[in-house]
This record gives sequence, structure tokens and C-alpha cells, in this order.
Amino acid sequence: MDESQLIARVRAGDSAAERALYDAHVDRVYRLAFRLAGDDALAQDFTQETFIRAFDRLGSFRGEAAFSTWLHTITTTVVLNGLRKVRRFRQREADIDDARDIGVAQRHAEPDLKARLKQAIDDLPEGYRTVFLMHDVEGYTHEEIGAALGVETGTSKAQLSRARAKLRVALSDFAGEWVK
Amino acid sequence: MTDQHEDPKFDQWLQDAARTTYHAPRTTPREEMWKRIADARQKKHVIELRPWMRWVVAAAAVLVLGIGIGRWTANQSHVAGSDSATGTPVAREIDSLANQAYQVAATQYLSRTEALLTSFRADDRSANTARLVSQARELLSTTQLMLDSPAARDPRLNSLLQDLELVLMQIAVLNPLHDGRDRDLITQGMNQSNVLPKLRSAIPAGPVPVRTEGAL
Repeated sequence: MDESQLIARVRAGDSAAERALYDAHVDRVYRLAFRLAGDDALAQDFTQETFIRAFDRLGSFRGEAAFSTWLHTITTTVVLNGLRKVRRFRQREADIDDARDIGVAQRHAEPDLKARLKQAIDDLPEGYRTVFLMHDVEGYTHEEIGAALGVETGTSKAQLSRARAKLRVALSDFAGEWVK
Repeated sequence: MTDQHEDPKFDQWLQDAARTTYHAPRTTPREEMWKRIADARQKKHVIELRPWMRWVVAAAAVLVLGIGIGRWTANQSHVAGSDSATGTPVAREIDSLANQAYQVAATQYLSRTEALLTSFRADDRSANTARLVSQARELLSTTQLMLDSPAARDPRLNSLLQDLELVLMQIAVLNPLHDGRDRDLITQGMNQSNVLPKLRSAIPAGPVPVRTEGAL
């Protein structure tokens, strides 16, 4: 059974077809959610929310684009909105904690490559980070990224190039690692 | 600008390093997630903010819109003179505004609770426990008010509110100094009761108006 038939059966209320559609796409949705969120509980929440919305709105899917493209549009919307909420919540906590910590000296251990790489990626602007993770880490094409994020393919390429440039500068201390 | 130059060696190294070390996902927990999705979808159409819940509108409107709506209604009443019977354009307008205010306030309450529970589950730093406890207490009061209101006559909303009350109560009594085991138990309970998916299903789509933050 091809995907359009499966979708038609889901629309008709076939729960087995819902499960089949879920099975066909859940890995990629969860992987993307995890890469962006960096937390299993959040990634699970975002994945669940994505599929709940997708099933609820399947009636509005016209089949003009691939189902996976439509689904990844929902995924990126759910994940990025969810992360903004969590960030705002944590920022409020951090602001209060910072106010308490005034005058307390901060000491940081010298981070290793893995920690520096994580920090450098986390510090990227949201758009750069999303495109970098989707393209370089999860293997999405610029066309898929453009469709999911609602931007031109050229914008996706430009953001990837800028993300890499920023990362190269941030990780310049480790240049020996890649010029070997 | 040198930092804009392409560097294929760097790009390749970066891809390899990021794939293996940056937020590398574990195996997809298919069954766990599917169970929660199916459960949430089954209950989805249930938790709706019904029209008859609008009794709280007046109070919510005052809370949400504050002095502004008070002044507006006073002015309208003055202009309308004795024309204050139910069903007049002024009364309908007030009712409509109040209904919107109730929806906003209820959505705000549910969204704040969702943010708190999501953060609680995702963040195991004990340093934040005191903050979470304080916010849980505040939301717990609102939950209990809602449970005592006619809104809780809806069996599904009642069930959600009871789940929320239990979780918020557990968080509200956490001891910030010895919270490791308790946190795990609360998280387990949240997962078993599917409280977050149910909560999300109850929140209408669209952005939460920030101007009303803290109104409930």
C-alpha cells in the first residue's frame, strides 16, 4: 500500500493505518526533535505533539508536497515553539539565580572538545543552528529544510554557510583536529 | 573575510563530530510514545472549554483586563442609561468580551502549568527546586479554585484538573535538599497518567497572550 492510500485510510478512521503511518515516520521525527532539544523527555513530548497535531489536521493535507515534508513542518514548529517556552521559563529562573549570585566568583573548568563543540552549536542563532542540525547532522536536503521552515532554499544554504563559519571561528583552538 | 571561506576538511570533521557527540539520540521509544499519542487522541475532543463554563467570565475579565474593562463598562452603562437588561447590545458586548477574557485566562493557566511540568520533567537540577515549588503552589491554588467551580462538572476537564492537582501538590511539597528520589517518583507518575499530553490537548492552538501573564 502506498502512502497516499495509507493517508486515505487514516482519514477514514482506520487506527491500524494511523499506526502504520506513525511507524513509517516516527524515527526521523524523534531524531530531529532529540537533536534540537537535547533531552529525551522533551524529544518524546515534541514527537507526541507532532503526531497528535498531524492526525488532527490530516484533513488539511492536500498532497501537494510529500507527507514527510508536511510532517517535518509540523515537527519544526512544535519543537522550536516548545524550546522557546522552555527557554523563557528557564531564563526567568536564571535571572533570579543570577541576582542572588552577584559577587560570587565564577570558575569554569577548561572544557574539552566535546563540550566546546556543544557550546558552540548551542550558541548559534536559532535559524543557523536549526539548519546546521537538519542538514549536516540529520541529512535533510536544503529543499526539505526550506519547505519545513518556510524559507527559500537559498536562505537555507546561506544559513548553513554562516553556521559553519561561526563554528569554525568558535572551534579554532582545535584546528589541529581537522587539518590532520 | 576569512571566516566565510569554504573549508571542506573542517566541514567534514564538523559533521562527523556533531553527529557522534551532539545530542546523539537513543533508540526511538516507539511503543511508549504511541501509547501516549493514542491515549491523548482518545481524550482529545473531550476537554473543551464549554460555553456554560462562562460563569467565571466576570471574575476572569476583571482579573485579566483589570481597570480597563471596568472603566469601559462603566462608561457604556452611563451612555446606555437604564438600558441594562440582558440581551441589549451593550450586555451582549460585555458578555462577548468576558467570554474572550475567560478563554484567555484559562489558556494562560493551562499554558503556565504545561511550562512548569515540562520544565520539571526536563530539568533535574536541584538548584531550581525552590522556584518550581513556589510556582507549583501558586498554580495549585488556581487548580483548586477551578475544581470548585462549575467548570469542573465536565468529567474530562475534572479528570485533568485532578491529575494536575496531584502533580502540583507533589511538587509543592518537594524538599529542595532531598528531592532526587521524589522527583523520579513524580516524573513516573506524570508519565503513567499521561498528564502532559492531556494538558496539551486542552490548550487551544495559537500563541498565548503574554499581556495576561500571571492573571490567574
